[in-house]
Parts: sequence; C-alpha cells; structure tokens
Amino acid sequence: MDNGLETEDTGGPKGEPHWLDRKRTGKRVFWGLIALCAGLGLADFLYRRHGIFDFEEFPLAYAIFGFVCFFGIVLSGYPLRKLVMRDEDYYDR
Amino acid sequence: MIADLPPGLILILGAILVPFLPGRLRQLYLLALPVLGGLQLYGLEHGSFAQTQIFGYQLTLLRVDALSVVFGTIFLITAFLNVIYGLHQRDAVQEAAALVYSGAAIGAVFVGDLISLFVFWELTAISSVFLIWASRNERAYRAGMRYLIIQVGSGVILLAGVILHAQATGSIAFDRLGLTNLATALIFIAFGIKCAFPFLHNWMQDAYPEATVVGTVVLSAFTTKLAIYALARAFPGTEILIYIGAIMTVFPVFFAVIENDLRRVLAFSLNNQLGFMVVGIGVGTPVALNGAISHAFVHIIYKALLFMSMGAVLHRVGTVKASELGGLFRSMPLTAVFCMVGAASISAFPLFSGFVTKSLTLTGVAEAGYVITWLVLVFASAGVLEHSGIKIPYFAFFAHDSGLRCREAPANMLIAMGLAAFLCIFLGVYPEPLYAMLPYQVDYEPYTTSHVLSQLQLLFFAMLAFAVLIRTGLYPAERPSTNLNTDWIYRKALPALVRWAMTVGAAVRDGVLARGRRRLERALVQITRHHGPEGILARTVTTGNTVLWVALLLAVMLLLNFV
Amino acid sequence: MIAAHLPALQIVLPLAAAPLCLLLRRGTLAWALALAASWAALVCAALLLRQVLISGPISYELGSWAAPWGIEYRVDAVNGFVLLIVAAVGAVILPYARTSVAHELPEEQHATFYTAFLLCLTGLLGVTITGDAFNLFVFLEISSLSSYVLIALGRDRRALTAAFQYLVMGTIGATFIVIGVGLLYMATGTLNMMDLAERLPPLAGNRTVLVAFAFLTVGTGLKLALFPLHFWLPNAYAYAPSVVTGFLAATATKVSVYVLLRFFFTVFGVGYSFEVLSVGKLLIPLAAIAILVCSTVAIFQNDVKRMLAYSSIAQIGYMIMGIGFATTTGLTAGILHLFNHAMMKGGLFLALGCVFLRVGSVRLEALHGLGKRMPLTMFSFVLGGLSLVGVPLTVGFISKWYLVQAALERDDWILAVVVLVGSLLALVYVWRVVEAAYFKPAPEGAAKVEEAPLSMLIPTWVLIGASIYFGIDTSLTVGVARQAAAQLIGGAS
Repeated sequence: MDNGLETEDTGGPKGEPHWLDRKRTGKRVFWGLIALCAGLGLADFLYRRHGIFDFEEFPLAYAIFGFVCFFGIVLSGYPLRKLVMRDEDYYDR
Repeated sequence: MIADLPPGLILILGAILVPFLPGRLRQLYLLALPVLGGLQLYGLEHGSFAQTQIFGYQLTLLRVDALSVVFGTIFLITAFLNVIYGLHQRDAVQEAAALVYSGAAIGAVFVGDLISLFVFWELTAISSVFLIWASRNERAYRAGMRYLIIQVGSGVILLAGVILHAQATGSIAFDRLGLTNLATALIFIAFGIKCAFPFLHNWMQDAYPEATVVGTVVLSAFTTKLAIYALARAFPGTEILIYIGAIMTVFPVFFAVIENDLRRVLAFSLNNQLGFMVVGIGVGTPVALNGAISHAFVHIIYKALLFMSMGAVLHRVGTVKASELGGLFRSMPLTAVFCMVGAASISAFPLFSGFVTKSLTLTGVAEAGYVITWLVLVFASAGVLEHSGIKIPYFAFFAHDSGLRCREAPANMLIAMGLAAFLCIFLGVYPEPLYAMLPYQVDYEPYTTSHVLSQLQLLFFAMLAFAVLIRTGLYPAERPSTNLNTDWIYRKALPALVRWAMTVGAAVRDGVLARGRRRLERALVQITRHHGPEGILARTVTTGNTVLWVALLLAVMLLLNFV
Repeated sequence: MIAAHLPALQIVLPLAAAPLCLLLRRGTLAWALALAASWAALVCAALLLRQVLISGPISYELGSWAAPWGIEYRVDAVNGFVLLIVAAVGAVILPYARTSVAHELPEEQHATFYTAFLLCLTGLLGVTITGDAFNLFVFLEISSLSSYVLIALGRDRRALTAAFQYLVMGTIGATFIVIGVGLLYMATGTLNMMDLAERLPPLAGNRTVLVAFAFLTVGTGLKLALFPLHFWLPNAYAYAPSVVTGFLAATATKVSVYVLLRFFFTVFGVGYSFEVLSVGKLLIPLAAIAILVCSTVAIFQNDVKRMLAYSSIAQIGYMIMGIGFATTTGLTAGILHLFNHAMMKGGLFLALGCVFLRVGSVRLEALHGLGKRMPLTMFSFVLGGLSLVGVPLTVGFISKWYLVQAALERDDWILAVVVLVGSLLALVYVWRVVEAAYFKPAPEGAAKVEEAPLSMLIPTWVLIGASIYFGIDTSLTVGVARQAAAQLIGGAS
C-alpha cells in the first residue's frame, strides 16, 4: 500500500531545523507559559471572581487546583503502571 | 418526500444499494443519503407518526420532539462528516455497515416505544461490528466477537426488561420510566452497558481501537450517545446516575495516562466525557439536562475530530502508538492543527465548543448543591486536559522526532476534519443556535469574566504543571504495553479457571477410569465378541436405550397417576 | 358440489396419484404428477381452512356412513391450520425435489421416491384430517412406513441402519398408540373422537382410560421425538436424502404434535389431562431439558444436518412447553411455533440440500468460504438461523415472545429464562455455521462452486421468505393460532 511513508528528512531548508524544533523555541514557550500564568494569577488579586460556592472566590483557587490535580494525575501513573501494565502481547500468549 | 418516513430508515434502506453502485456514483450517493435524511428531519413537525399495532401494542416509529430532534440532528451531521472522511476507501462492507449503523442509531432516537427501540438497539450492535471486522485480521475478529456478545447481551437484557415492564404496566411507551422495580432496573442496566458504565465499560477500550481507520470514527459517534439519549429520555433525575457518572469521569483519567495506543486513550477519554453527561442526567434539573444534551452534541463533533486525526495518522504511518510517534507536525501540519482544535474543544478552552456546554453541566451540578460531585468533575476536567488536550497532540505531532516522514492526510480526510474543526470553533464562539435547540429554555451566559478567568487559570496552571513535569523529566516515557482492564476477568481469569477445573476434572476422571478400566475392558471384549463390529454395536445399544426410555416414561406416567 | 367433498379430495388426490407414479416409471413424469397432486392438495387445504374460519368446523362422513359408526373427517381451526402447513410444505418442496433427487438418487429409484413421498403426504394429511381414532392410527402407519422407505433411499449406507432404527422406534410408538386406542374402545365402545370426548368424562376414575392415556402419550411422544425419546431422530435426519429431511422436519413431527394436542384437549379434555392427571408436570420439565440439552448438543455437532436435527428436538421442546402450560397463551405459542418452525427448519434443510448438491458434504469444514461462493444459499441459511435464534422481525421472535408471555403469566421465571437461554445457545450453533461460511477462507485449491440452480433456490427462499414475512405480518398466523387455542381450551370446558 502506498501510504506516502518516507524516512529521509524533508525538514527545513539546508539542514536548518524547523523553527518549532529549535531549542530556544521550547524555552520561549516555557517562559511564555510562566508569564501567562503569572498574569492570570495576578488578575485574581485585581478582580473578584464570582462563583456559586464560596471557595471558588478564594484567590488562585482554580490555579492551584488545576496545577495540583494535573501533577497528581501524571504521578499516579507510576504506581498504576506497576499494578496493571503488562507486555504488549499479554493476551496473545 | 413521504410525510412520516423516519429519517433513520432513509439511511438504512439506502444502504442496500451501496454495493451495486460504481465508484464516483457511489460516493455521490453516500453523500446524498445523510443530506436527504436531514431534509426529511427538517420538514418534520413535532408529534407522533408512523404508528402501527403489533401484539396489541402500539408501535411509534416517529416521535418528534425537542430531545429527539437534537440527537437526530447531530447524528445526521456526523453521518455526513463520516461519509466525507471515508470517501478515499473502496470498501462496500464498511460503507454499507456505517450507513445502517448510523441509520439505526437515528431510528432509535425517533422511536416512541420500547419494542421499536429494542429492534434498532440490536441493529446498531449487529451493523457496527462489521466496522471492527473490516480490519480483516484475527485480532479484530476476536475483539469484534467480544464486542458483539456484550452489545447483543445488552439488547437481550433490554428485551427482558421491556417484557416485564409491559407485563406489569401494560404500556410500552418509551418515556420517563424511573428506576423503580426489576423491569426498569433491567432496562437501566441495558442502557448502562451501551453507555459504558464503570465495570461495564471495557468493551469500548477493547473494540474501538481494533476497528478500521474510518470504523473507529463512526463507532465513536453513535453507540454511547444513543445510550445517553435513552438515559435522558427514561431516567432523568435518577440520583444514582450522579455517582455512576462521577466515577466514570475519574477512573479513565488514570488509565488514559498510562495507555500507549492513542486511539485507546481516546476511548478512555470518551468514557470520561460520557461521565459528565451521565452526571447531568442524574441531576435532572433543566440546566443540568440541557448541559448533558448540549455536551453530547458538541462532544460527538470534537471526539469525531480527534478520532479522525488519529485515524489520519494511522492511515499514513500505520501506527498510533505514542512510543513510536512524534514530530509528525512536519509531515502533517494541517492534521496537527485540526487535532489541536479538537483537543482545545475537549479541554473546554474558552472560544471552543466544549467550554460552552461543559460549564452548563457544571453550573447545573453546583446549583443543585452537589459539592463533592462538582469537585470531582473539575478534577476530571484537569484529567481531560492531560490525556486528550495534551497527550494526544503532543505525542503524535511534537515530542521527540520519531524520524517518520509521510504525506499529509488525503484531501477528503482534511475536508472532514476541517468541517468538524470549523463546527468546534463556531459553536464555541456562537453557541446561541445550539442553545435554542435544547429542550428547556436556556438563560445562560457562558462568557462572563469570572467564568473565563477561572477556566483559563485551571487550564493554564495545569499546562504549567505539564511543562514542569516534562522539563524535570518526571513525565513518564511512553512504553509499548497492554494495560489490564476489567476484560481481564473474562480474557484471562475465567479461561485460567476453566483450564484449572479441567485439569482437576481430568485427574479425577483418570483416577476413576483407572479403577474401572479393567472391568470395563473385560466387558468391552465380551460385548465385541457377541455383537460384532463396533458400528452395529453402537446402534443396537442406542435403539435399546430408547426402548428403555420408553418403558421408563410409561412407568413414570402410570406410577404418577396410579398412586 | 366439489366444495362439499373437499375433505375427501384432500386425501384421495395424493393417495390416487401415488400408485400412478409407480406405474409411470419415468422419473420426470412421476415428478410432474406428484407436483400436480401436491398443489391440488394445497388448494384443498387452503379452501378448507378458509371455509372453517368463515363458517366453523366441517364434518364429513366418508361413504355417507353416519358419524359414530362410519369414519368421520372433521376439520376445525386447529387441524385446518396443520393441514395447510403440511400441504404448503409439500407443495413448496416438490419443485425443489426434482434437481435434488436427480442428483442424490439413482434414476431407477425416482418413481419409487415420488410414490413414497406422496404416500407420506397422504398419511400426514390423513392423520390430521380424520376424526376417528383408529383411522388416525392407520394413516400414521401409512406415513411412517413410507417415511422409512424415504429415509432408506439415502445414498449413505448408514441411511439403512438409521431407517431401521427409526422403523423399530416408530413401530413401538405406533403399537403404543394402537394399544391406547384399543383400551379406549374397550372402555367406551367408540372410536370417533367427538363421541369419545362425550363418553370419557364420566369415566374419569377408570383405570383402563388412565392406562390408555399413558400409552397414547408415550406413543405419540416417541413419534414427535419428545426428549428423551428422540434418539432415532438425529440419524434419520442426517442420513436421509436432503428433500426428505426438509419435508419430514417441517411436517412429520408437527403432525405428531397435533395428534398430542388432539388427544389431550379434544378427546380426553383439558380438565382430565391437565387437572386430574396433571400431564403438564411431566411435559414441561422434559421440554425444558430438551431445550437446554439438545441445543447444547447441537453446538458440538460438526455435521450441520445433525446440528439442525438436534436443534429440531430443542424446538419441539418449545412447542411442548407451550402445550404443557395448557393456557390460551401457551397453546397459542405452541401452535404458532408449529407453523413457524416448519417454515424456518424446512427452509434451513433445503438450503443445506443446495449446499450438498454443489459441495457434496454438509460438514462444517465443507462450508468454509461458502458465503462468497454460494451467496444466496448461505444468506438464506443465515436468515433461517436468525429465526431459530429468535431475532425480531423473524417468526422465531414471535413464537418466543408468546412463549415467554405464557411463562410469565404463570409467574414462572425459570422457564422464561430457559427460553431465553435456549435462544443464546441457538445463537452459538448458528454462529458456528456463519463463522465457517463467512469468516473462514475457502480451502486451497478447492473446486469452483456455483450457486445452486433456481429450481432449488426458489423453494428455499419461499420458506425462508415466509419465516421473515410471518415475523412481520403476524395477523394470519397469530389469528389462526389464537382461534385454534381458544377452540381447544373451550372445547373441553
């Protein structure tokens, strides 16, 4: 089947890496994200958000909740892998 | 058009012609059928039509109201997108099966009684399995078989419930039933299987990733959302749904984190999204129900978009294992962009469709005062961002470069994804047409400063967590693997148990035989000597046996009556 | 004028045609005559049923001898319906028979075959139409003797032994029936069924009557392959020529079920059979075991004909269960299944006959890849199989629906579950065929296989089509079955 799969690099011109591949792009994204988060966090101290529950209005409530949950979810993968992960051909053996 | 022809039948009956049409004509025909269905739906007035009598019960094939129109509309839109997405293939089996399957789901949405529902319910099961088998390999065949058994089983349970319900009440109307007795409990369980309730869910992760490229996209749209529709119709405000739904949103999050097959990740994500809808139905207030229904509507589009993008990758590269992918944005930039639109929608970024509907559900839950459920749902939202919002696009298109280079997806796939992506953004920016379709009057404004700010904080701080995890190397690398799920019970534990029992049984039998063998052998020699060749012996004994039974039965009858 | 003699014509036409077939000697001519006779029988049966449904039961005195002494033919909704089933199956199968018989039997046996076939048809119609207990035995013997011949004609040498075993068992059954009839005559002095029905109630405690009842039940049970008296059936069905299997499966056991109905409900009366003697307590467990055990046995068969034979025993279990309930709904289910099963099982066996014609075997391995090579035949098999399972929009669903309703009416959960489990088991054995035909590749270097000829496909599809059509439009079948059930229950009270 011709699915157009090729293996040689057809990236940017003359060995120059794609702009998304450059090391500094990654850095910029990271620091840009931190700046954005800082801005969003700061907004909580300038504007009083309204919510249905009281604790929603606590400054940075959503920010902390989001950060902690995400961290926890990813890290929970470690014990879970121990528990349920098997080789790929587990059912075929 | 015939005035009260159910739109689903247009697709089902139309499918018959598919194998007989040649190439280009068939493509046009496939595109025309959902459009015809849409025109038919558009022309329908509210009310009940196409009624007939059977077994003294009234069957209603066409019941048009706000709820059925919402689901009918989205099912037809998706059927149309799916046809476009599948135009590159030449496989009459898949094309016809997809049409029958879509048509059966649409048919089920419009019926007004439980018996017709059962018929379409089973038809979705039987027609959809061909989309899995169309992969045409042993693995898919076996997964399809497991899928079929579970789906048909759901139908049988539904039928049992319907019969009991009809016995008890004399009614087969498909309306609000409520979880009150055994009959409705059976119906509830049948819906629950199709809706992938916890512990009844594994068929989805088992079978969907084995279907064909197009098949998985088609499958993801109908079966589970039909179950959502059925629950919204029959069991709104059933409290246990809140807890079931809450569990559904949470546990797939953990499984999705460690899953390597990206289509299976999407299947877990589907499970998690269904949880939001189930909670909304369980709460049962107008706001929550609207939330569940509108969420189902937009969810079908963005989940199809995500499955389409992974299907395009599978089509071009031949695998969707995270451990083998990466850096594909070079080769498939448009697919990557569309995938990210889908990811942003499912993660509920403001201006994308998930935002305007998920917040409706969450508001419904909060207003009804379910604090813990609400917290669980917010937690699950962060989980959605992890597995669908970040993991899917990141590992497929970015991450470390796998060195794979291929062509961009075929034009028809790009068009289908483009349309779906357009709908995701359009409904996110301008949700009013969707809100206007909902069964209850909506007076809800998703774009308040508080709300947008809260959501952005949640999402961006979660993304920050991801960035930190990646930079610190704490994010676990993807590994090729199989992760155990509840199907382990019948794929490993039960067979092992049976094998064990057979070994034990054989040992016991051998022991008994060893003792009886000498006597048996002597008897056999005797019989063989007296009765000649083996064949005749066997038959003579059988006739004799029967006569013995005759005598026995006669004796029993006489004894029973004489004494 | 002719209308008044329809009951006699029903029997006389095929009976007269039978020896003529033998005289014609040429296969084709014999076939044409048999075909004409069977179609005439179908017309008679249809007219009779119509007349009965419009103006009530018909009584016809053979040779104008008045009823209790002369032989009376009596047609009501029950046997009118059975007559139609038997005649219709015969009329559909004969067009099919020509090609199939030409392929499976040597030329010189063709005339014999059609003679035996017509005699068998006559016998079955006679058993159904007669209102005289001894006459019933005579016709039963005619049909049995001719069916031994038909089975023994099978090419497989094991057909002879199968026919012999069937002969032995059938003769025992017939003997039991004649003993039962004789005992009844001893007790009452009459052989006419309506007369018997009038004279028996005062003799309720009479031991002779009781013994007669037991002998008749067991004898008929043997004939209809009631579990555990079914051992003759799988061999007989498996080794008989394809046409014969299809015909017998669709008619012979059905007629025996009718005989059971007639004795239980009309002659002895529902009160005596089910309340005084509580025969239901014996029949229902046997039926349930038949459904479960024989469906399971069917799963393990590798010869598809044998698989369907075991399935037949299980399906007879459904009918017997419905009868055992002795309620209007139960009887409706039983009678309905009589018709429905005749359509689907007849169609299935005919489809197998098509396979045998082209492939020369009906073992599962021989079916590999046939879904592509004989699409019409295999698809008809799939539809018939779905009906066996009881999928909605097929007749199987309708029967099971009523049977489950009848079980639930008695609050008998276990039996309702048994019926549903039976469906699942049926799904498994039907699936094995589907898997072989559609999912297994044709063996390497297999000979090219053509689709079966139209002369065989059309009859197959007529029966399969009927099993779909009557699953959707149930007004005729349910209507007649309900009327028949009401008549049987009401006739006794």
